[in-house]
Amino acid sequence: MSRVLVLVALALCTALAPVAATPVRTPHVEAELIAERTAVVPGEPLTVVLRLAIIPGWHTYWRNPGDSGEPTRLEWRLPAGFRAGEIEWPVPERLPAGPLMNFGYKGEALHLVRIDAPTELEIGTPVTLAAKAWWLVCEVKCLPEDAELSITLPVAARSDADPRGAGPIAAARARLPAPAGTLNDWTLTAGAAPDGVALRLLPPSGVAVPEARFFPFEQGKIEPAASQRLVVVEGGYDLKLARAAQPVGAFERVAGVLVLSPPGDPAPRAFTIDVPVVAGTSAAPAAGLGVFAALVAAFVGGLILNLMPCVLPVLAIKVLGFAHHADRRAGRRHGLLYAAGVLASFWTLAGVLLALRAAGAGLGWGFQLQSPVAVAALALLFFALALNLSGVFEFGNLLPARLAAWSARKPALDWFLTGVLAVLIAAPCTAPFMGAALGFALTADTVTALGVFTALGVGMALPYLALAWFPAWLVHVPKPGPWMVRLKQALAFPLYATVVWLAWVLGRQAGLDAVVWLLAAAVIAAIAAWLAGLPGSRGPLARGAIALLVVAAIAIAAFPRDATAPPLAADGVWQPYSTQTLAAFTASGKPVFVDFTADWCVTCQVNKKLVLARGEMLNAFRVRGVQLVRADWTRRDPEIAQALARIGRSGVPAYVLYKPGRAPLVLPEILTRERVIEALDG
Amino acid sequence: MRKLALVLATAIAVVAPPAIAATVGQPAPDFSAPDLSGKPVKLSDFRGKFVVLEWTNPECPYVRRHYDSGNMPSLQKEVAAKDVVWVAVNSSSPSSGEFTTPENMAKWLAAKGAAPKATLIDQDGKVGRLYGARTTPHMYVIDPQGKLVYAGAIDDKRWGNAAETKSAKNHVRAALGEAMAGKPVSVSATSPYGCSVKY
Repeated sequence: MSRVLVLVALALCTALAPVAATPVRTPHVEAELIAERTAVVPGEPLTVVLRLAIIPGWHTYWRNPGDSGEPTRLEWRLPAGFRAGEIEWPVPERLPAGPLMNFGYKGEALHLVRIDAPTELEIGTPVTLAAKAWWLVCEVKCLPEDAELSITLPVAARSDADPRGAGPIAAARARLPAPAGTLNDWTLTAGAAPDGVALRLLPPSGVAVPEARFFPFEQGKIEPAASQRLVVVEGGYDLKLARAAQPVGAFERVAGVLVLSPPGDPAPRAFTIDVPVVAGTSAAPAAGLGVFAALVAAFVGGLILNLMPCVLPVLAIKVLGFAHHADRRAGRRHGLLYAAGVLASFWTLAGVLLALRAAGAGLGWGFQLQSPVAVAALALLFFALALNLSGVFEFGNLLPARLAAWSARKPALDWFLTGVLAVLIAAPCTAPFMGAALGFALTADTVTALGVFTALGVGMALPYLALAWFPAWLVHVPKPGPWMVRLKQALAFPLYATVVWLAWVLGRQAGLDAVVWLLAAAVIAAIAAWLAGLPGSRGPLARGAIALLVVAAIAIAAFPRDATAPPLAADGVWQPYSTQTLAAFTASGKPVFVDFTADWCVTCQVNKKLVLARGEMLNAFRVRGVQLVRADWTRRDPEIAQALARIGRSGVPAYVLYKPGRAPLVLPEILTRERVIEALDG
Repeated sequence: MRKLALVLATAIAVVAPPAIAATVGQPAPDFSAPDLSGKPVKLSDFRGKFVVLEWTNPECPYVRRHYDSGNMPSLQKEVAAKDVVWVAVNSSSPSSGEFTTPENMAKWLAAKGAAPKATLIDQDGKVGRLYGARTTPHMYVIDPQGKLVYAGAIDDKRWGNAAETKSAKNHVRAALGEAMAGKPVSVSATSPYGCSVKY
């Protein structure tokens, strides 16, 4: 009846009203086209929504349907001069189907389309916008359905909001992802990882991201059903996206919709993103010690382990075993088994450590050298290890003697376990090395940490493997003797030096008081070590006293003191970094050189001493009117972390030259004056 | 000490990567599943010949489109003439509501004039998961050396009626053609389309 009235009104009035299109009913869906306005205005765009009301339990699909399914599509039949845009898709839901995952809509699916009307239209004539809609609707079963839909609107000089369209169109708009570029105060980067891509989200400071989900535009890039883990990193988060089990094409861009609010939010925080995937940006050499240098150091450390007083005598007996092998092949096999045993032990240790660290990171603990507490704790640990090397006290053997002397009945297993035992037996002497490796591994990324432990193991196993291969070399093996004890004691001094370096870093971070507290803690630790080294330290009283002292030392060293930190030094030449400073400097039209540095970064200090702080270099800068900015990352600073991420770096050193009208130039990590001048004049 | 060995072995097992689903360019994993008569069929039985794996489900409208139009049966016959082994796999689980018994499967295939060399009932979904099969149809081509050379959709007409299916570019025919001519397969991975496999 009302339709008849409307038709009558349409015929009679110039203030025309739209003809409501009747919804089309299929077995699972009620489909209709709804317009936002009451009329078509020549030359103005009109928003139309395809609304699918889906029966409970069934769903239709997003533009990327996920593992299976099919996106809804529209084929328009429009009057001459009209143009329909692409469907604008609201944020979908994750819809699990057994082990598979689909992306789509339940209940109601709304598809916005912008229709552009031509400028030449006769006012007063009706216009029919018709489309054939196809969709796949599934529960467990799947059915393709389609419908012929249309909407007829009058052409008028002006239009009003159609109350019928207001609801669904507002609901659809609320669920649309914001267009690309909306997150411009965020830094988004994507780094290739062994199993996929890590999407790094660096929000403006103070913005927390409780959860995130990513919906890719394309199939065959990420595995739809894989969970997407959100991991806390320096200054932000990593969203781990697993590569598709059967990839289609290269995974070069993270393009899709990023949702930052919980599932089912009627107005989700969602953003269209398109981030290029950069190879290997996820590695973060946080300690400033190069990965290669760390691996070499670990390998040499592993070799030295063999010369330790508690390792060499035990293994010397085993080594004689090589000589007993009349069969060379058996000897070689035993050598390999021994090496496997050593490596297995180191990997087990590394695995346990990394698991603990992952658990800690999940709880929000940072192990970076940017935290004064972590630096103080490491300094104290290294000091205790150095005291041990000096012979002040000994770590108790981890194994009872009878176990150490044990021998398996199966020779193959025996050799493997000899490797395992070598690591365990050696614990009293290896502890300092292991401690140092542990300290490094806590601050390095997973791959580097695993590499360090592997290098240690290879270093330790290699001499014996070599002897198994070439038994003739046995004559060159040094005889155990007092020289081993002196070597061990001498090795304490590099560790003491490390403590000095860490104390300096702590001083820069947290001031003189922090260093004095650390030194006090070191004295207490020394007393504990001395007590532990006394004969009769096994008594319960002595043990209690030692435990108490150790706790006291740790408490004093790790006492939180961020609040007392002095501002980092700004000298007259280098301006401290801030986003505003950099923006103001680059806007001034002069070149800007930014030194991303940190006191705990050895390479940075070398570059500073040998290049940047030299008179000739500063002169060259002054002559060319270069503005100098120093971004000091000694302490945690999300602003600097974001600036680094923007140039594709995750750690220091980094040197960037901004020249007017040019893209920022990132200079090599090892600087020379010539290279900087070349960049300035290039 | 045996305990220690056990702990170590467990640790290594935990660290070791899990079995990876079939990957294009890699050896296709071997499997064994019963055919319609209950006789076990192994992939390795066909070593030395090209093999096509087709995930199928008579309850799925996409599968029906390719069978009702004659598209899938005619391709099966066409490649059988070239000594290619066609293996259809139905991974629908009995609890999914779309399980087809071996008898009904045989009747349906006969009614459609289909001619796969073997049709496997993979009701526990083991073979499907091993190959990462997502949709029906989902197609795989394996060369005589046992290497997976194609995985993905049957053709490039995801939507499409029977008429459009005829004019579509059939990825399986193209992959077989290139591989049999000793050429590398130019389109070796596509996104499969269709109903989800009813695991």
